[in-house]
Amino acid sequence: MQRFLMGQPLMRKFLGRVADVLTEYLGGLSEDLVKDNFVTIYQLLDEMMDNGFPLTTEPSVLKEMILPANLVSRVLSVVTGSSATLSSTLPSATSSSVPWRASGIKHSKNEIYFDLVEEMDATINKDGFLARCEVYGEVLATSRLSGMPDVSVSFTNPSILNDVSFHPCVRSQSWDSNQKLSFVPPDGSFKLMSYRVKSLKNTPIYVRPQFSSDGGVVTVTVMVGIRANVGKPVDNITLQLMLPPSVASSDLTANHGSVLPNHSTRVTTWSIGRIPKDKAPCLNGKLQLESGLERLREYPTFLVGFKVMGVALSGLRSDRVDINRVEYSAIKGFRAVTRAGNYEIRS
Amino acid sequence: MNADSRKGELADLKAQLRQLAGSRQPGVEDIKRELYKKVISYMTIGIDVSSLFSEMVMCSATSDLVLKKMCYLYVGNYARGHPDLALLTINFLQKDCHDDDPMIRGLALRSLCSLRVKNLVEYLIGPLRSGLKDANGYVRTVAAMGVLKLYHIAPSQCTDNEFPAMLRALLLNDPDAQVVANCLCALQEIYTAEVNVSPETAARDREHLLSKPVIYSLLNRIKDFTEWAQCLVLDMVSKYVPSDSDESFDMMNILEDRLQHTNSAVVLAAIKVFLHLTISMADIHQQVYERIKAPLLTLVNSGSAEQTYAVLSHLHLLVLRAPVLFSNDYKHFYCRYSDPTYVKKLKLEMLTAVANETNTYEIVTELSEYAANVDVAIARESIRAVGKIALQQYDVNAIVDRLLQFLEMEKDYVTAETLVLVKDLLRKYPQWSHDCIAVVGSVSSKTVTEPKAKSALVWMLGEYAYDMPDAPYILEGFIENWIEEDSAQVRLELLTAVTKIFFKRPPESIKMLGAALSAGLADAHQDVHDRALLYYRLLQQGVEVAERVVNPAKQAVSVFADTQSSEIKDRIFDEFNSLSVVYQQPSYMFLDKEVRGPIELTEDSGILPLGPTIADDVLPSQLVDATDNDLLLSASDKEESVAAVSNGSHYSGPDLAGFESSSAPPRSTSSPSSTSQVTSTSAAAATSLLDFEDLLGLNTYEVSTPALFSLKLKTKPSLVAQAFQRKWGQLAVALTLVRFVY
Repeated sequence: MQRFLMGQPLMRKFLGRVADVLTEYLGGLSEDLVKDNFVTIYQLLDEMMDNGFPLTTEPSVLKEMILPANLVSRVLSVVTGSSATLSSTLPSATSSSVPWRASGIKHSKNEIYFDLVEEMDATINKDGFLARCEVYGEVLATSRLSGMPDVSVSFTNPSILNDVSFHPCVRSQSWDSNQKLSFVPPDGSFKLMSYRVKSLKNTPIYVRPQFSSDGGVVTVTVMVGIRANVGKPVDNITLQLMLPPSVASSDLTANHGSVLPNHSTRVTTWSIGRIPKDKAPCLNGKLQLESGLERLREYPTFLVGFKVMGVALSGLRSDRVDINRVEYSAIKGFRAVTRAGNYEIRS
Repeated sequence: MNADSRKGELADLKAQLRQLAGSRQPGVEDIKRELYKKVISYMTIGIDVSSLFSEMVMCSATSDLVLKKMCYLYVGNYARGHPDLALLTINFLQKDCHDDDPMIRGLALRSLCSLRVKNLVEYLIGPLRSGLKDANGYVRTVAAMGVLKLYHIAPSQCTDNEFPAMLRALLLNDPDAQVVANCLCALQEIYTAEVNVSPETAARDREHLLSKPVIYSLLNRIKDFTEWAQCLVLDMVSKYVPSDSDESFDMMNILEDRLQHTNSAVVLAAIKVFLHLTISMADIHQQVYERIKAPLLTLVNSGSAEQTYAVLSHLHLLVLRAPVLFSNDYKHFYCRYSDPTYVKKLKLEMLTAVANETNTYEIVTELSEYAANVDVAIARESIRAVGKIALQQYDVNAIVDRLLQFLEMEKDYVTAETLVLVKDLLRKYPQWSHDCIAVVGSVSSKTVTEPKAKSALVWMLGEYAYDMPDAPYILEGFIENWIEEDSAQVRLELLTAVTKIFFKRPPESIKMLGAALSAGLADAHQDVHDRALLYYRLLQQGVEVAERVVNPAKQAVSVFADTQSSEIKDRIFDEFNSLSVVYQQPSYMFLDKEVRGPIELTEDSGILPLGPTIADDVLPSQLVDATDNDLLLSASDKEESVAAVSNGSHYSGPDLAGFESSSAPPRSTSSPSSTSQVTSTSAAAATSLLDFEDLLGLNTYEVSTPALFSLKLKTKPSLVAQAFQRKWGQLAVALTLVRFVY
């Protein structure tokens, strides 16, 4: 009972982590993969939990105890004939003060890359007002650095961040005092930080749907265009609408891109791609209502998808990455991408 | 695979293992590993391979770690079922406990502790003791958990060997954080279990665990712990009571950055500590709310729907405690198209809770958009939410606009919900009757089909007969269709409405009243029949008496109270960061088996004593504290409610029964002779009714037939005494429900 009450978030989070680790080890998670790799999975579960209590879940530490049963190690075991699914030494990190990083890591090429990945959530209500707009962002890092490097990252405009959370490696003191990220990175890929930026006033594209009913037939016009120039082209624009149950059939065409109705899910997808310079993309057509209905009473919600490479729409930018406490110079990279998250337009 | 071939295969495996056991050929490990894999995979899919036990153990003398692990797994699985075989493994496990490799030492110790065979416990003590003193942290980690496993097999041997004391020492001094975490975990569980064995020592030990030195040593190294161990530590810290406010502030300073942890479990555990530390400092407590808001709101909209729901439940709890603090964050609770229904429902509740003067317009605008939602359940909920918000504020024009907007949608369920909403509004703000009635007037009674909505409409027709010129005629239509009306609830409502109209506009409604009462008396439904009879008898006493009972002057409802008592809410708050919050129930309600039975009863209490028909009419929001009772109803009306309630449980009120028995034969008889007897007595009684009988157009036979009907029912009491006692105990609750039918 004690355990039961220990925290519902903990249980859920732990299960999620187990799934993440297995996915990383097996390169996916499916019934067949589990069946094929049950020995590895038993070993992993053994280290991840004891007597119902979570133990080690840090992938980098686990990998030192149990080698992934991937192709490389299989090839290795065939070539050398030795057992390669398990290292015979106990990882030093389990008892070190930096549990996420093993000592003595060596890379021939030292590099660290940061990916700013943002998702824009927005709701535009049926009067065309922006009811809600927020950006959820993550800084994903891939570190291949030798030794015990101390990395610091600073941003030009950290004040826009509404809420932040960090990987355990980040020293929160440094963030509190000068808004800099200072950390000893784990080796490999990890999520350095995630953040939320709220009350943004601008969305990159607009969608203007219009419906007019007449005698059981609804005429639809949907216009899509760029609302504000974000500095980079907006790609992969898609528009999804789910037809209300009262619609019997639909006939929708567009002057640009492709329209793909799915009759079983009732979702029509309009793939626009990039907005052309010479014309405004427009979706036209008619909806035939179920017999007996005069006009449309439930209006569909449009879900918008897009991608902007090279720009974080929140405006967050990094101006400096330093790597200290090591002799070598490393390659540093920073890039950004923004995608539509839950970007919906009601009509 | 059929049984024979499986047997053959097992025998085959057995032979192969036996052959390999002593072999020292190169490559033999690889063959062994394949065989082990096969055995384990059989074990996994549920085939009994315990017959290979001795062969497996024989082959386990190996330096190959994977082989060892598979062997440990196999042994751990079958040891409990085959204690005699398990003895075979003790030897090699003990040997492995002294291996040079700490990993093997740890794994062997873990397997040894996981055998869970009672009579092998003696072999466990030694390795466990040396494990706790091992130089390697990994082994100590395993040993700490091993102590707990030992405790579960043999509690007395565990405590006799002073293992808890050793764990306590490690808890304070071990350099490895994971060892400390496991000690903490083991100790907590041991002390919790010890409470049943020796309450006093256990209480003392628990106190020691929650003492300042222990808590401080844990807090000071909190960053060394893994995220899971941090949750454990934070959970324990939340039970610690600091001696003064300075101490609280120090602790909060240390834990401040936990709120920025990437793991939501850590964040929630830290929030719990903050809330509990400041519970007695009102202003700081409020600041804590402000501080924890941002991380919680982030968690709500990022991640899976399950996470959203869990975090929202926690936020919901906080919002209910301090709605004002969240009044600027309402946009976070806007529903997203892709949210599952259960998330949307919770969000609607939050929007209702945070609505105040400053944000009502936006929130109601947003809610009104959901009314057009494809998801009917959400559309309904959102209209109810608009209603709840409307009940809190005073701008009649804005609300009437919305109502008209809803009705314009011309959808059955929207109209239905809107009618119920208008009814609630009128009960709170009778002064709005003029505006609201104008809205209702535009509804065609033909389009209203749902019982709840029909009842609401009928109630309004009865209540506001003066404002609606055609009210009697609409009601007349309903009464003509009495037979087709399936819902007893609507029929009940009709009776009351017709009676009320009769008081106000007698010339237009007297015929209708007669028709309704006679139909009601002939009704097969117990409640309907009884209410008709009650009204009939009241009218016999005189119109004024009846009016005093049926249509007394009402006071407006001031507050529609919550369904949950504040005590329960406080208990849930104490169990922040647990399933209690998600279930919206304190843990004893779903954990304690003894409690669970009765609790389920109380959960149903709203419905049980009433019968489903009446309860259906009542929205959750309408459940009102018993203290509100006097606001709406005069004492006499309450009596009527009691009668209705009692009837719902097939129990006729004593008054009625007394009346019956004086004029009717014993209940058990239903012979034709008794019918005639009843007829004659009723006829005799009818003469004393003066002209009332004629007025109502009642036939004496009609009066008596339903009476007989009810008599028959009483021969078979549908309730045993105990069950009745229980329901009776819940009548207070039921009473508050019934009030709103009128």
